[in-house]
Amino acid sequence: MIFADLFFLYIFLPAVLILYVFAGFADKFIGKLRRRNRRGRFSANENPVTNAVLIAASLLFYAWGEPVYILLMIFSVIVNYAAGLLIARKEQPSKAALAAGVTFNIALICVFKYSGFLIGTVNLLGLSLPVPDIIPPVGISFYTFQSISYLADVYRGDVKAQKNPFLILLYISMFPQLIAGPIVRYGTIAEEIIFRNLTLSDVSEGSFRFFIGLGKKVILANQLSVISEQFLDGNLDGLSTAGAWLGLIAFTFQIYFDFSGYSDMAIGMGRCFGFRFDENFNYPYISRSITEFWRRWHISLGSFFRDYVYIPLGGNRRHQPLNLAIVWFLTGLWHGASWNFVLWGLYFGVIIIFEKYTLLKIADKIPKVFLHIYSIILIVFGWGIFYFEDIGRLGKFVKIIFGASGNALYDIVAQNAFTGNLYLLIAAVICSLPIGKLIRKGYENSLKAKSGAAAAAFTFGKAAASVLLLTVSTLLLISGTNNPFLYFRF
Amino acid sequence: MKKRSAELKTLSRYQTTDRKKKRNSDIVYVAVISVFFAAMAAAILFMPRSDESQLEQRKLAKFPEITVGAVLNGSFMDDVTLFFRDNVPMRDDLMVTAARLQEFTGFRSNDIKLHNVAIVEAEEIQIEPPVTETAAEPVTEVTAAAAAEAAAPPAADVSAVETAAPVTETTHVTEETEPPPEDDNVNILNNGIAVVGNRALMLYGGNFSVGEAYAQVIEKYKKALGDKVNVYCMVVPTSSEFYCPESISPYNASQLDNIENIYSHLSEDVVSVDAYSALQLHTNENIYFRTDHHWTSLGAYYAARAFAEAADVPFTELSTAEYDMRTVEGYVGTMYGYTQDIEIKNNPEDFVYYVPKNIDYKVTYYNYILGDGNAILGMSDPINADFFLDFSKSKSSLYCTFMGGDAKITHIHTSTGNGRRLAIFKDSYGNALPQFLFGSFEDIYIMDMRYFTYNAEDYLKEKGITDLLFANNTFHATTRSTVKYYERMLTQGRTPAVTTTVAPAAASTPVTSKAETQKTASGTFSEMAEKKTETSKVTEKAAETTTTVPAAEPPQTTTVPETSETVTETAEITENTEITE
Repeated sequence: MIFADLFFLYIFLPAVLILYVFAGFADKFIGKLRRRNRRGRFSANENPVTNAVLIAASLLFYAWGEPVYILLMIFSVIVNYAAGLLIARKEQPSKAALAAGVTFNIALICVFKYSGFLIGTVNLLGLSLPVPDIIPPVGISFYTFQSISYLADVYRGDVKAQKNPFLILLYISMFPQLIAGPIVRYGTIAEEIIFRNLTLSDVSEGSFRFFIGLGKKVILANQLSVISEQFLDGNLDGLSTAGAWLGLIAFTFQIYFDFSGYSDMAIGMGRCFGFRFDENFNYPYISRSITEFWRRWHISLGSFFRDYVYIPLGGNRRHQPLNLAIVWFLTGLWHGASWNFVLWGLYFGVIIIFEKYTLLKIADKIPKVFLHIYSIILIVFGWGIFYFEDIGRLGKFVKIIFGASGNALYDIVAQNAFTGNLYLLIAAVICSLPIGKLIRKGYENSLKAKSGAAAAAFTFGKAAASVLLLTVSTLLLISGTNNPFLYFRF
Repeated sequence: MKKRSAELKTLSRYQTTDRKKKRNSDIVYVAVISVFFAAMAAAILFMPRSDESQLEQRKLAKFPEITVGAVLNGSFMDDVTLFFRDNVPMRDDLMVTAARLQEFTGFRSNDIKLHNVAIVEAEEIQIEPPVTETAAEPVTEVTAAAAAEAAAPPAADVSAVETAAPVTETTHVTEETEPPPEDDNVNILNNGIAVVGNRALMLYGGNFSVGEAYAQVIEKYKKALGDKVNVYCMVVPTSSEFYCPESISPYNASQLDNIENIYSHLSEDVVSVDAYSALQLHTNENIYFRTDHHWTSLGAYYAARAFAEAADVPFTELSTAEYDMRTVEGYVGTMYGYTQDIEIKNNPEDFVYYVPKNIDYKVTYYNYILGDGNAILGMSDPINADFFLDFSKSKSSLYCTFMGGDAKITHIHTSTGNGRRLAIFKDSYGNALPQFLFGSFEDIYIMDMRYFTYNAEDYLKEKGITDLLFANNTFHATTRSTVKYYERMLTQGRTPAVTTTVAPAAASTPVTSKAETQKTASGTFSEMAEKKTETSKVTEKAAETTTTVPAAEPPQTTTVPETSETVTETAEITENTEITE
């Protein structure tokens, strides 16, 4: 199941929400009884009924798209649950159990996501092994990484090993973050899993966040995907330089609104259920360097590699260049089982190392506008590498965008698509800027103001915006123009 | 709660009002949103749904049956998701609203909007192998359905006409014995659609070598039929040739060049008919539809006149004395379905046809019964109905007014009595021609190149044909599959490839209905349809989940409405037309 779909939006989600509300009452009732018996002590699972509803909903959500692979996910949960207990069995955490658990997760992702790629690569060396044709289970990149973070955190003593296997199942399978992230650390929600106090404010903030995310995905990303597909998926022989740039810029915005929209929806839904996930995007396109970009883009992935790969390898204390190379190789590879993703990761790795010794030292002396231009050009170009899995096509495309292909520089098709989508592109630029932050600040100030008028106006605006976003998104979903799901490679 | 109240106590009074405001704000917001969201969900869940889309001329997804296998392989879930996505209450109206919304993405410079222009790869692509069906099983179904229909009251029949809306068209003739050659490639010739003002133009790719092959296959017919049969080749240009603005012309090949190329490869034995000049003289008249890829009756009239002149037959000039001009308003043709362009939807046009007044004629239809993928399953018994069928209720299908579509052989016997017997091999452009030729030939046989299962040479000789006209538009005349169809028609079995006919039950009632089990064929460009499903697929989760989406081909044909519609038509025929043998 995907979020930006009428079935999810109007059948699945309302059903889960209604059940969740009733389950909440049941939990409160059970809690009262229990506290009466146990003299007010908290138990290890204060939300058994809501948790059960969430687990059931999550399993159904996953089974909807992957009826067989759900067994794989449950198997993985069982192994990780056991590994967590084994690691923390004695006072001294068990290194062997950690190694075994992490190896299991890595093996899982290698077999189901990378085996075809690995064997295909080995075959390039002259072998002819049969290449397995495995479609990776959706979300495997996210849940194996969450499992690894759980085991590592238990080993480090940052979190306690969870003794209830169902709560690990809930952590891994929770549907808002299951198939497209963010990569939620166990520590982030460890307390909320056993005890959460859902307030009206959570529902208000969470649902608004969800509508924002839905709008980003359906109104912006899906419309932009029409442009990017038109120019990037076709025959490159007929592609003009202007068309190539237009397609690439459209994709730049598409992937941001698609991915961050998904994260917003995940964070928003999580909030409505009483969970607070960490932010995953922080206006990445306003970065002044690539280093900064990666602190603002897919934050949960960057911090995963920082905390579980880069620092354990020695970070900046030992052979830093090697550590960086490994991290960026893996970051690229995580995005898909294809060499262009590796190239894309290393591309950023090289730039970041370069920045470390040059740009970042003199950044204060350079006018900001140049830094922005420098960053955005490299980011946009990076998306070109990301887009083309076929290296031959990538080479051709690079020639076209630099006008070295012999193709026309400009044609009416590019011009027509540009004017036909000009307002959309302008909206995309505006929505990439931290406008939302400003509005939010205004809203918070209005709450502090003496008069209630400003607060009322903001509340009205918030409600109207939500209604509008939901209506327009629904109409666009009905009309069924493009609605790609980009993360099946992740 | 304890913790929270303690927290509250420590807050200053100022902050408490702050909190209160936030709480009020949250209450209002959550209330508004919940009510609105619940209303939307309830509307989507409980409002009445339709089985089909009038706008897109297709059936909408059905709720799947649940089986263990379908759940395990996920197809049940996919189909449920598809059902809720596709079969939305008031879908047609909402689609138009959405199309209107999408106009806000930008503006049209010079009033032009391009749809997939130039991105279409003009390369050979393999079309899917046609589904070869054994006739037995489906035909029994047809029989049952036909029997049921025959027994059903007329009211039910009317709905049957409407729901007989077709599926995505893929035109390949299927033979049970001989699968089509594996290299049955279709050359995608269309270069996308340009909407210029309120006129949609399907841009032309062109292909000289296929054009040459087209000329050669016509030569084969001439050779097979000999001197006694006059063979004519009339390649009809489409609207993009005359209305394409200069700025788009790089994406629109010259149809004149392609037509001249074809004619240059014809020997003197084959008469080439210059429809091009005939149409070119009248480009300021409504000779092509703006919202459909076909030409209008008027366009067909000028071409028919050129043909009659070339064939040296009498011709009934257009006049109120000779023709009864009928107009149906509000026509929005196939181009809206292809492009979802609101400019097309907002600018409907008139559909006009001309019924000859002073000539008696009798029309007999032999309908092909089509299965999945338009595979030919069998053929109906002859059905008598008028040449002009009433599609005024199904506005987007108005072009089916002529004979009801393509998947049939039509025989028109007229009172002309001049000894000339015409056979027309055609695509859907040819459907508009015969209305002007009733006074020119005593028999006219109309056959679609995609639906003809007999051996062409035998068939034409058996019918005593004196004149054979190939009437194709430029797109089809330079499309490889067209040449293949014509070649196969010459070589295919001497006995009719389709032996099954509809059950006797149907025979006793001449006005049988083939009901819904018949998929309908349509006269649109098959290649367009192929491409459209390619480009407009909804990619979800993985590229493999392809679903039919709104933009998919809206085939504008239904089978002859052999239902109540036809009942009245037949009645009219018995009244008005007395055929003297």
